[in-house]
Order: sequence, then structure tokens, then C-alpha cells
Amino acid sequence: MTASRPAPRIRPDTRARRQHLLMLAPYLVGLVGLMLLPALVTLALAFTEYDLLRPPTWVGLDNLTALVDDPIFRVALLNSLVFAVVAVPLRVLVALGLALLLHRRAPGVGTARTATLLPTAVPEIAYGLLWLWLFNPLYGPINQLLRLGGEHGLTVLGRTPPPWLTDPTSARAGIILMSLFTMGETFVVLLAARRALPRDVYEMAALEDATGWDVFRRITLPLMAPVLALLAVRDAIASLHFTFVPAFVVTDGGPPPYATTYLSLFVYQTGFEYLRYGYAAAATLVMMLLTVAALLVQWRLIRRYRRFYQV
Amino acid sequence: MKPKSLLALALCATLALTGCGSGASGPDPVKLLVFGAPEELGAYRTLIEAYQDARPGERVQLIEASDRKDLLARLATSVAGGAPPDVFLMNYRFYGQFAAKGVVEPLDQRIAGSTLDPADYHPVAMDAFKWEGAQLCLPQNVSSLAVYYNRTLFTRYGVPEPKAGWTWNDLVGTATAMTRDARGLVIKGTEAEGAARLPAVHGLGVEPSIIRLAPLVWSNGGEIVDDPVKPTRLALDSPAAREALKNLIDLRQAYGVVPSDAEVEAEDDESRFLNGRLAMLMTSRRATTNFRTITGFEWDVAPMPVYRQPVGVLHSDAYCMTTGSKNKDAAWRFMEYAMSADGQRIIAATGRTVPSHIEVSRSPAFLDPDQPPRNSQVFLDAIPTVRALPTVSTWPEIEDLSYGILENAIHRGDRLDDVIRELDVKSRPMFARGEHG
Repeated sequence: MTASRPAPRIRPDTRARRQHLLMLAPYLVGLVGLMLLPALVTLALAFTEYDLLRPPTWVGLDNLTALVDDPIFRVALLNSLVFAVVAVPLRVLVALGLALLLHRRAPGVGTARTATLLPTAVPEIAYGLLWLWLFNPLYGPINQLLRLGGEHGLTVLGRTPPPWLTDPTSARAGIILMSLFTMGETFVVLLAARRALPRDVYEMAALEDATGWDVFRRITLPLMAPVLALLAVRDAIASLHFTFVPAFVVTDGGPPPYATTYLSLFVYQTGFEYLRYGYAAAATLVMMLLTVAALLVQWRLIRRYRRFYQV
Repeated sequence: MKPKSLLALALCATLALTGCGSGASGPDPVKLLVFGAPEELGAYRTLIEAYQDARPGERVQLIEASDRKDLLARLATSVAGGAPPDVFLMNYRFYGQFAAKGVVEPLDQRIAGSTLDPADYHPVAMDAFKWEGAQLCLPQNVSSLAVYYNRTLFTRYGVPEPKAGWTWNDLVGTATAMTRDARGLVIKGTEAEGAARLPAVHGLGVEPSIIRLAPLVWSNGGEIVDDPVKPTRLALDSPAAREALKNLIDLRQAYGVVPSDAEVEAEDDESRFLNGRLAMLMTSRRATTNFRTITGFEWDVAPMPVYRQPVGVLHSDAYCMTTGSKNKDAAWRFMEYAMSADGQRIIAATGRTVPSHIEVSRSPAFLDPDQPPRNSQVFLDAIPTVRALPTVSTWPEIEDLSYGILENAIHRGDRLDDVIRELDVKSRPMFARGEHG
């Protein structure tokens, strides 16, 4: 007869760790299977000639050197950089302004917060189609509004309203305008961050007769800076992607020549419409490098900013 | 193993099984990938139903793409994923990239052992789908460009309707006489942008594309590429090609008879014609399905204007079988039916196609006098003169490139020399990467 061995006791922290891992598992599987592995395969394909239909062949750096000479890629790269430089600060600023405006309880604030968040909840394609109507040069409500008070189809200042979809500059501005209304997530985070700031600091500032600008510059901005920096980083990365649907649905990369062809659209067209998947993968590699560069630049800026305020 | 773990395992297994299993019985259906307007998709459903009724036990599944580009992307990704559709419908201008890469199954052997006789079909359409001598696809239709016109407007303004043998100058004169303001007075559209009098009716609508330009250049005795068999560049530098291109640009820049870019963005040419605000529209048979919904006015078609000799440009889509199909015999049986007189009659009833089957194209199924356009014979008369565009594998890129350049030429008034040079220089690398049939 053998005595039954007691079951090994599991320490509570080991059990908690296992539970965490178990709960994380679906996400990790998705992350690895749907993001990391495809990303690695895409990076490898950047050094091949691959058309999706025949096996890839190794071409070394040929795709990357061809990208340098490709005028359409250069335009797409420039468009993406300009969009990031203009749209990201604007989106964060607008979200910050609205968060500061709407963080207090007041009549109508709830409705205003909902209205701010609502465009983010609209499916991207529907949002694009909506703007296609809004930007209609002759019958769209934006230009109809601009024509109010004017004569012969001109604005009150005697100017032609912006030809949103046919003029390169207006089309680029239109895409930026579209992106401004989808900063709902940024707004919510900033709203929460503002509401979490300690009240006593503001009360002390009031006792010191600090002006609104001083309060913003000396208290609100430094306290919210880490959150703002994080959101700016996130937006800069996302800006390479969220130009895709507007450019695809609203402007189709135009007006010619390639005024709103951004890197994401360039990659899609090259890969899936022209079947140059290896070349598109090389452009994706450039996008990833850009993302890393943007992260590094912002990381250095944030560190310098923190050092400045720690002194 | 603990009961909870066992339960989780059983749940996962159940989910995996129910997620992967199709639940269907019998042989796999033939997968047919197409795109088109709702009426066209309805016609394919009718075709499939008729086929399934005629051949009990056969099943066909329709896969609908939203547009041509979506179809290309779906086809490429499904081939890469090892699960291509069995049959797809594609225009000869875009099938080259798939033909060159061995995605399309050669059909000569199947045709030889079949009741399908190639002599029953318009040769120009059959030839457009030959790649390195092999018949890769079977053409469903054989269309060409025509001028759709609003008869009611022509009668109202007392302008003679276009007729066979009319020239480019006749077209410009007619379009000028038909460009009217809201009071019905002739107006020059070039003066209209941002000014008091916007045209209420434009004389003509024409897309700034190579497929619209090509028949005009050919008719004038020019070429659009340097070598029609193995092209290396878009070559519009000959005097004949230059003249045709300049005349096309002048429609907007000199005469203002075509809508401006803002007007086209606000309302595309097909909608403009549909709404009675366009007197004439240069387009293919494809528009007919949509125009048959018109109830407010009468419309008809006229042949393309002629420079020196009548030449049309081929528009043709075909049923192609994928080499990766796991259901080739069933796919072929469906293709045989779709190409038969019965199958072609069903699709012809939509009005969208000029049937490639010679007998059906000459039958009331296509020439039904009770269905507009009354003058459908125009499309048949054009067939002997139609020419095909190159089927180089990079043609989709070349068309996209040229569209942007021609759009700027027509609407922005770019210099003719610059336009020709840009088309030449920018198309060269694309042709160089291309593969020819």
C-alpha cells in the first residue's frame, strides 16, 4: 500500500501570474499571428520580387533603390510627412482645447462631449462617403454655406469657394479637415487627464491671482504634458495609416498628379492593384522606419522637456 | 486533468469544428467572381439559376466584387492564398497581368472536345483573349464606343441628331449648339466657371482616358503606342495623334462643351446624362442598363465621329478559368452554358452587353426594337472596325497614369508638348516591366 502524495502547493503569486498569462494569451496569439509574423514576412518580402501569383525571387536592395527613383513614391512620402507635421499637432491641439473647454460640469456639456466623440464612432467608409458629399464642389453644404451672401456662385468676398476635390492644395486641406473630427479618442483621454488633475493646485493659483494663461502654462500644460506627449506619439504613428480611407474613398489619391496619394494608399495600389507586392513591401519597410524615426525624435523631445521641468 | 480544463478543451474543440466545417453537403459549387451594377449582378444570378435548373446537381456560387479594382485585389489575394475562384470575368485590358503569370487556364483542349464552336463568336473578341497563341478566356461580350444622345433635347433645340458618317467637326459643332444655359440659350462653357451663367446642359461628356482617346487617334491614322505588338511607350507624338489629342483637349479648353472638373466631381457624366443635363455621352454599351431606367426623355445611340476612317476600340470581358481551380470540369461546364446561345441571351436581356455570340447579337435578344436604344445596330456595325488595346501585363498602371495626365490636360490646360512628353517618359518604365502575350 502506498501513501498518496499531497498535491504540490502553488504559491499565490505564481497562480496570479499564470492567470495573467492565461488572460493575455488570446491577445498575444493575435498579436504574434496577425501582426508580428505578417510584419516580419512583409519585411522579408521587401527584398524580393513578388507578385502574389508566382514564388518570390530575391532581389536584394533593388526595391529600395527603385523607390528612391520612383517619383510617385517620393510624392507619397512627402504627402505623408506633410500630413503628419500639420495634422498631428492640430488634432492634439483641438482635442486639448475641447477637453479644457468641456471638463467642467455645465448645461449642455454632456451633449457637446457626445458630439465631439460621435464622428469617431462612425464607420470609416461611411465617414468618407459623408465627406464626399460635404466636399461636393457645386452641391455640397460646405461650399453652399460659403456662397451665402455672395453672388454668381462666389463667396461674400468675391472669391470662388475652394474646389475641394479638384485642386491639389484644397484636397490636401480637406483630408486634414476630415482627420480633425475623428480625434474623439484623444479628446476622451485628455478629458480624463484634465479631470484627474489635483484641485488644490488650481485653488492655490486662484489665491495667487494667476491669469488664465499662467494657469495653463504653469500648471495645466506641465501636468498634462506626459499624456499629451503620449498622444502625439500615438497620433504620429497612426497618421501613416488613417489617411488611407479618406484618400481611397474621397479623393482616390488625386487630384492628379497624386495630390493625396499617401504612403498607405501607395502601398495598397502597388501591392494589390498592380501586383507588385515585393515593391509594396519595401515601401512598407520605409513606413516602419519612418515610424521608428518619429518615435525616437519624440522620445528625445519628451526627455528634454521632462529634464527642463525637473530642474 | 481538472473538470474545468476538460470543459475548456471541449469548448475549444467544438468551436474549432463548428467554425471550420462548412455544413454543406455534395460537391463544392463553382465559384464565379464578378463585379458590376446591381442589375448586372441580378443577371448573373438569373444565369446561375437557369444553369442550375437546366443541369440538376450543378451548383454555382456568385462572388461579388464592388468594382474592377476590388476584383483584381480579390483575385490576386485568393490566388496567393491558394483558394482562387474557379471562374472570373475580366476585361482583356486587365487580364494580361494574370495571363502572364500563369493564373489563367488555357482552354484550347477543352474547346476541342466540346460542342462550343469558336466560329460562332466574333473573332475580334476571341483573339483579344489569346495569350502566346493559346485561348485563355471566352469572351462574353464585344462592345465598342458609341455616342449616347438625349433625343428629347435635340428635338427641343432643333439641332440635327448625330448620324452615321459624321465627322469630328460635326461633333464639335453639335456639342457647341447643345451647350445651353437655363433659358435654353447657347452658352460657351469656358466662360462659365465662377461666372453668372453656368451651362444647364453640356453638349458632350467624355472621360479623359486612353480608351476614349485611342479610337480618335486611330481614326485619324495615328497610333497610341510605338509598337502595337510589343509596345515600349505611349507614343502620341505623330502629327495624327497630336491632332486627335489636341482636339480632345479643346473640347474643354477652347469650346467649353464638356463639363469642368468641378462639375464632373459634383455630378459624373453618366448621372448628368441620366438627369437630362448632358446632350451627348461618349461611352460603351455598359451604360445601357443604367440608361434604361430613364423615363423622362427619349435617348438613342449614334456611331463615333470619324476623322479619316471609322475605327472603334474593343471593349470585351471574358470568362476565365483559374489554373488553381479545384473544380475545373464543373467550371468548364458552367462556362460552356454561359457562352451558349441560351446563356448569352440571359445576359443580353440586361442591355449591358453586346453578345459575343454572333447569332445572339443579331437576334431580338439584343436588337429588341421595344427596348432603348433603338439603334443598337450601331454596336454591331462597329465590330468590323474595332481594334484592341495592348494586353501588356502592366496595362492597369499605364491606364491609371495616363488618366491623371489627360485629366490635367483637359481640365487644367497643360501644354500639349508637355502632356505628350509626360505620357511618353512616365509610361516607359511601366512598359519595360510588362510582359506581352
